[in-house]
Amino acid sequence: MSGQNIFERLQNIDRRVFYWVLFITLMVPFIYPIGLPVKVVKNTRDLYEGITGDNINPGDIALMNFGYGVSAWSECAPGFTVSAKALFREGARIVFIGAHYDVELSFNKLKNDAAADFAGKVDGVDYVFLGYFAGGESAIAQLATDAWTVYPEDHYGTPVADIPLMQDFHGWQDIAVVLSSDTGDVGSYFLRQWQGAHGTKLAEIGIAMNGSTDYPYYLAGNFFGLSIGSRGGAELEVLIGEPGEATTAMDSINASHLLIVVAVILANVGYLLSRRQA
Amino acid sequence: MSQLLKREVVFALTGVVTVLMFVEYFFFPSDWIVASTVRNWAVIIYNISLGLGGVRLIMQHVWGTQRRKENWQFSALFLVAFVVMLFGGLAGYLGTGVATSNGVYNWLFNNVYTPLGSTTYAITGFYIFSAAYRAFRARNLDAALMLIAGCFVILSNAPVGEVIWSGIPAIGEWFRFTGQVPGMRVFGVVGALGTIAYGFRALLGKERGFYAGGAEE
Amino acid sequence: MAIIVTGRLMTFILLILTFALMYYYMYLGKKGTVFKVRTLPAIQAIPEAVGRAAEMGQPVLWTPGIAGGLNDSTQGPQTLAAISILEYVTEECVRAGVKIAAICPLPDALPLVEEAMRTAYMSQGKPEEFDIEAVRFLSGQSAYMTGTLGYIQRERPASTILVGGFYYEAVIIAEAGNTIGAMQIGGTNNTHQMPFLVATCDYMLLAEELYAAGAAISQNPDMLGSIKGEDMIKLLIIALTGVGFLLGAVRINFLADLLRM
Repeated sequence: MSGQNIFERLQNIDRRVFYWVLFITLMVPFIYPIGLPVKVVKNTRDLYEGITGDNINPGDIALMNFGYGVSAWSECAPGFTVSAKALFREGARIVFIGAHYDVELSFNKLKNDAAADFAGKVDGVDYVFLGYFAGGESAIAQLATDAWTVYPEDHYGTPVADIPLMQDFHGWQDIAVVLSSDTGDVGSYFLRQWQGAHGTKLAEIGIAMNGSTDYPYYLAGNFFGLSIGSRGGAELEVLIGEPGEATTAMDSINASHLLIVVAVILANVGYLLSRRQA
Repeated sequence: MSQLLKREVVFALTGVVTVLMFVEYFFFPSDWIVASTVRNWAVIIYNISLGLGGVRLIMQHVWGTQRRKENWQFSALFLVAFVVMLFGGLAGYLGTGVATSNGVYNWLFNNVYTPLGSTTYAITGFYIFSAAYRAFRARNLDAALMLIAGCFVILSNAPVGEVIWSGIPAIGEWFRFTGQVPGMRVFGVVGALGTIAYGFRALLGKERGFYAGGAEE
Repeated sequence: MAIIVTGRLMTFILLILTFALMYYYMYLGKKGTVFKVRTLPAIQAIPEAVGRAAEMGQPVLWTPGIAGGLNDSTQGPQTLAAISILEYVTEECVRAGVKIAAICPLPDALPLVEEAMRTAYMSQGKPEEFDIEAVRFLSGQSAYMTGTLGYIQRERPASTILVGGFYYEAVIIAEAGNTIGAMQIGGTNNTHQMPFLVATCDYMLLAEELYAAGAAISQNPDMLGSIKGEDMIKLLIIALTGVGFLLGAVRINFLADLLRM
C-alpha cells in the first residue's frame, strides 16, 4: 500500500475493513432503531390478497412448504408466519411439509411466533405437520398425484390414515393454494409439477437472491403473489398489521444497502480519478 | 464398470423412463399407475443415494484416520460426531418412533449444527459486499451504465431509497422492468432450451457426463 | 374425447418439432455438413488453466455446486454437463501431470464423478495414477461451502472450475478463489447465481453455454448439429413472440389462444 496515492487506496481498501464496517452498520440499527416506513409493493399485496378474503374459503386446504432451513429464517420465516396466520384466520386448513432436515425447528418457530393462531387449532384436524421429504422434484411430482405414498405418516409417526385432515388430501385437486418459501428450487418444482401441470394456485415467499429469477414468473401469472426477502416479510407484516422480526430487520437492510452503494461509489471515484491522473 | 452397464443399460433405462413420463404428461389427465410407480422408485433410489453418500464419507475419513494423513484429527472427530448423531437419532426413533426425540441429538442439532449453518449463511453478505466492491468498476461505458442501474435497483429495494430521493423507487422499478425482467426471461428461455437439447442428446447416447465416459463417440 | 390432454397439445407439437429439428440437423452433421458454432472462451481457457497449474505446481479444483441433484429436472442436467467438463479437464490434467481435486456435494452424482475421472485417466493410458481420494464428498451446503473454502485456502489451487448448479455457496467459493489469485472458470444455468460468478470468475459459461460445452469440447458433428437445431427453435420462439406482440397490440388473441391449446 505504500507509494499509493489516495485514489489508489480508495480502490484497494482492505476487505477486512469493509467487513468490520458492514458488521457495525448491521448491528447499530438493532440498538438504535430508525423505523423508516415500509411501502407495500404490488407483488406482495397480491400474495396477501390471494390468501385472504374471497380468495380463500373456510375449510380450504393450503399446502405450505418450508423450503428454507434455519439459516434463512431472517428472510423467509416472517413472511411464512404472516401467511400461516392469515390462512388460519380465514378458516383454512394447512398441510405443512419441508425440504430441509431442520424443518422441525422451523415448524416449532412458526408455532411459537403464531402461538395465538395455533392456540385455537387442533393438530390433525386444522393443520398437520408432515415433516421432511427427500426425493426433490420426483417427490413433489408424486405428492401431486398421490400424496399418501410420499407421506405414509406425519412427522410424529401417526399414519396418515388416522389423520382426519389427510382424508381430504390425496393430491393436487384437493389443494386450494400452495405457498412455497424456499432458498432454492422447491418453488420451481411446484411451478412445474403443480402450477404448470395442473393449474394450482401458487405463490412464492423467497429470499432476496431469488427475487429477480421469480419476478418473471409472477408477471407471467405463474405465481399469484411474490414476497421477496426480508422486505417482503416486512410488507406482509404491514398488511396484517403486526410488525415483527422483518420490520425490525429493515433498518439493518437500509443501512447495508446504503453502505454497499457508498462503497461502490468510493471505489469508482478512486478508479476514475486515478485513471484521469494517469 | 463394463461398457454394457455404462452405456446400453443406462440408455435403455433412460429411454423407457422418458417415454413413460411423456406418455403420462400428454395422454393421461390424471396420474398413470405405471409412471406413478416409477416416480416412487425414483424417490426411493434418491434416498438410497443419501446412504451411499454416508458410506462414502465414512470410507474417506476412516482412510484419513488410519493413514494418519494431514489433519487426520478432524477425520477422527468427524467419525465420532457421525456415530453420536447416527445412534442418537436411531435411539430416539427406536424409543418413540420420532427420530428427533433424543436429548443428545437435539442438543447437538439445535446448539451446534444450526448456529453453524446460520453463520455460514450470514458470511454470504460479507462476501457479496467484497465481491461487489472489487468487481463493480466503471471500466467502460457498458460497465458504467450497469453500475448506475445497479445502484438504483439496490436503493429501490430498501425504504431508504425513497427517503434519499422520491424518484429512486420509480427509476429502480423502471430498470427492473426494462432490463432485469427481460434479461431473466431470456435466460429462462434459453436455459430451458439448452436443458431440452441436453436431454435429447443424452437420450441419443451422445453426452459424456450422462454416461460417465461411456458415451458414443 | 381428446387424445392429448387439454391444454397440452401445443406443448406436445412444439416438443416434437424441437426434437425433429434437432435430429434433422444432427443427421445433416453426421452426413458431413459443417456447422460453425461460436467458440466458447471458457472452454478454450481450460488448457490455459491447466497449464497455469502445471507452471505453478499447484492443483486444479473442480466443483459442481450443491443445487444440481440428479432428480431435479433443471439442476440435474447442469451437474451432468459439469461432469462432461470434468472429464475433459481431467484428461488435460493427466497430460500435463497436474493434480486435480473434485469436491462433490451430491451423493447421487458421486459415482458418475468417480467414473468420469477414472475413464479420463484410462483414456490417457495412466489408470494407475487415478486416486479415488481425489474425489471428496462433502455433504450439506454449509459443510460443502466451508470445506471447499478450507481446501482453497490450504491447497491454493492455481485454477478453479466452478461449473454446475449453484446456490449461495457460489459467491463464497468464487470469492475465496479470487482472494488467492486463482484463475477461475465458472458456469451455471441458475440465474440467481450468474451475477456472482460473472463478477468473480475470469471466464464464464452462461445458461445454455454450459449445456453446449460437451459439444464444444468433442466437436462432434452431430452434437454441433443439435445446437444448430436448438438455434432454429430459438428463431421460431422469437418469431412467435414478435408476431404475438404485434397481434396482441391490435387485440387479436388468436396466437395466444392457439398456444394455450
